[in-house]
Amino acid sequence: MMGSFRRIGAVAGNTFLEAVRQKVFAVLLVFGLVLIYGANYFTEFSFQEQFKFLKDLGYAAISLTGLLVGLLGATQLIPGEIERRTILTALCRPLRRWEFIVGKYLGLSILLAVMIGVMAVAVAGVLGWKEAQLIAREGSDPAVAALIRAEARDPRLIQAVVLLEVKLAVVAAIAVFFSTVATSTTFVMAMTLMVYLIGHLQSVAREQWLESGEVASWAAKFFLAGVAFLVPDFNLYNLIDEIVAGNAVSWRSTLEVVGYSGVYIAVLLTAASVVFEGRDI
Amino acid sequence: MSAAVQTVGLRKEFPMGWFRGRVLALEGLDMEVHRGEVFGLLGPNGSGKSTAMKMILGLLRPTRGRAEVCGYRAGTIAARRQIGFLPENPYFPNFLSGAELVRYYGRLSGMGGRVLEKRIQELLEMVRLGGEAGKRPLRTYSKGMLQRAGLAGAMVGDPEILMLDEPTAGVDPAGSREIRDLILELRQRGKTVIFSSHLLEQVEDVADRVIILHRGQKLREGKLDDLLTRKKEWEVNVQGLKEEDRKELRGWLEKRGVQVVREGAPRERLEDYFLRSLPEEKRR
Repeated sequence: MMGSFRRIGAVAGNTFLEAVRQKVFAVLLVFGLVLIYGANYFTEFSFQEQFKFLKDLGYAAISLTGLLVGLLGATQLIPGEIERRTILTALCRPLRRWEFIVGKYLGLSILLAVMIGVMAVAVAGVLGWKEAQLIAREGSDPAVAALIRAEARDPRLIQAVVLLEVKLAVVAAIAVFFSTVATSTTFVMAMTLMVYLIGHLQSVAREQWLESGEVASWAAKFFLAGVAFLVPDFNLYNLIDEIVAGNAVSWRSTLEVVGYSGVYIAVLLTAASVVFEGRDI
Repeated sequence: MSAAVQTVGLRKEFPMGWFRGRVLALEGLDMEVHRGEVFGLLGPNGSGKSTAMKMILGLLRPTRGRAEVCGYRAGTIAARRQIGFLPENPYFPNFLSGAELVRYYGRLSGMGGRVLEKRIQELLEMVRLGGEAGKRPLRTYSKGMLQRAGLAGAMVGDPEILMLDEPTAGVDPAGSREIRDLILELRQRGKTVIFSSHLLEQVEDVADRVIILHRGQKLREGKLDDLLTRKKEWEVNVQGLKEEDRKELRGWLEKRGVQVVREGAPRERLEDYFLRSLPEEKRR
């Protein structure tokens, strides 16, 4: 078992190191500049609106950057190694194929977690900077200063970061699964995006399936049930928007979504390992 | 004791895609490599050498037949522990340095800690990539250096068998000579070396036994001495033979009914001449 951990750790570490040395983190610089530029926008609006705009901008930018890095990284994860044939020199070692898949996935997940974490800290930093600016300008009244602090230091944003991380982890797991089936990165990306989009419509399919009753044919029911079971429901991650909008979301709901995502990730990685086990390299 | 590698009726067909049939890459290969020998897999491109190697490594699944490594079914973890592999081209993560590459492969082989660090130093010294050279990124290495780094990576788990796919392809004569010397050193250490090549002169220098493949089929197999020795001929190399002595010798031989097949000053091989022409420090 220790051997497995060590081998998975080696693959994960190497995947992370590759991303670092390919300067993936340079995108964080762009992200930071966008945020700072955004922070000086809409200064004529009320502080509540300014904070709302900053949070919206920050989380939209984290989400987009994370999705791009996750998607591009995951689609390259296995096909890239096959294309460069570096996979030959890894898989001829006493390394199980599932260990390779899990290690690769973990490396990417760590990369995403670090990136999202750094970006979230940057958002918090810019919110703090804005808080200091606004208090200096409008905070002579202690009640107003307290309101500004409450807007800037919203602890619920941590929940949004956690949910964003697990959402992207699910997207990466979908891409890893498809990358064990195909060698073309275009195919992997197209399929992952398709599942991502279907995932946003999944709840519609589920409702149709549950409410179809006698009306729908058995084939339609089977299809709807298949979509409902196989495709993760990405609407669950709309909690992020709720949190950013300032609405209360319980930690219990957040952890339920984390658990739901964990099950999907485990199923996807198991399926990917089974498919990859029988594949000629 | 089981053979280092044994294949029985090993066959591989690759599907060409939907409705396009299958292509045969290797047809029923029977092969046995003994422990401690240097074994050459020879054949032109597309003869099935790499396919055979990949099946022994467990990277490809045989369509039929079986392969065993030190008595273990090929592809199992136990079998892969016995083999170190150097691919034809330097398929290594080029963002790593030489030392990091060997460390990565060591960890994939389940090694770690001081044992691994000591092994990395030993191996880098052995392949002459110690010191600063081992700290440079692989993308700055020459082909010969990459092959040497790959060899160090292949040897990190101290495997019983080393499998080298075209180890000298694209390497200059001096680098090629180094790899050849390393193979001989490995044999001295009791390792089994299986290598493929289409550069036949190099094979001749190091292999104990060879197998010749063509279009997926085995054409010949045997010890190099048995395959290459012209048993009906005899060769004597001498120095200081004068012209009149040569004529007399030829006459003496003809009187006894011996047919002179070839006669003349022996030629040196171009590779040896080239290496001899280089300054001492450039030969290594």
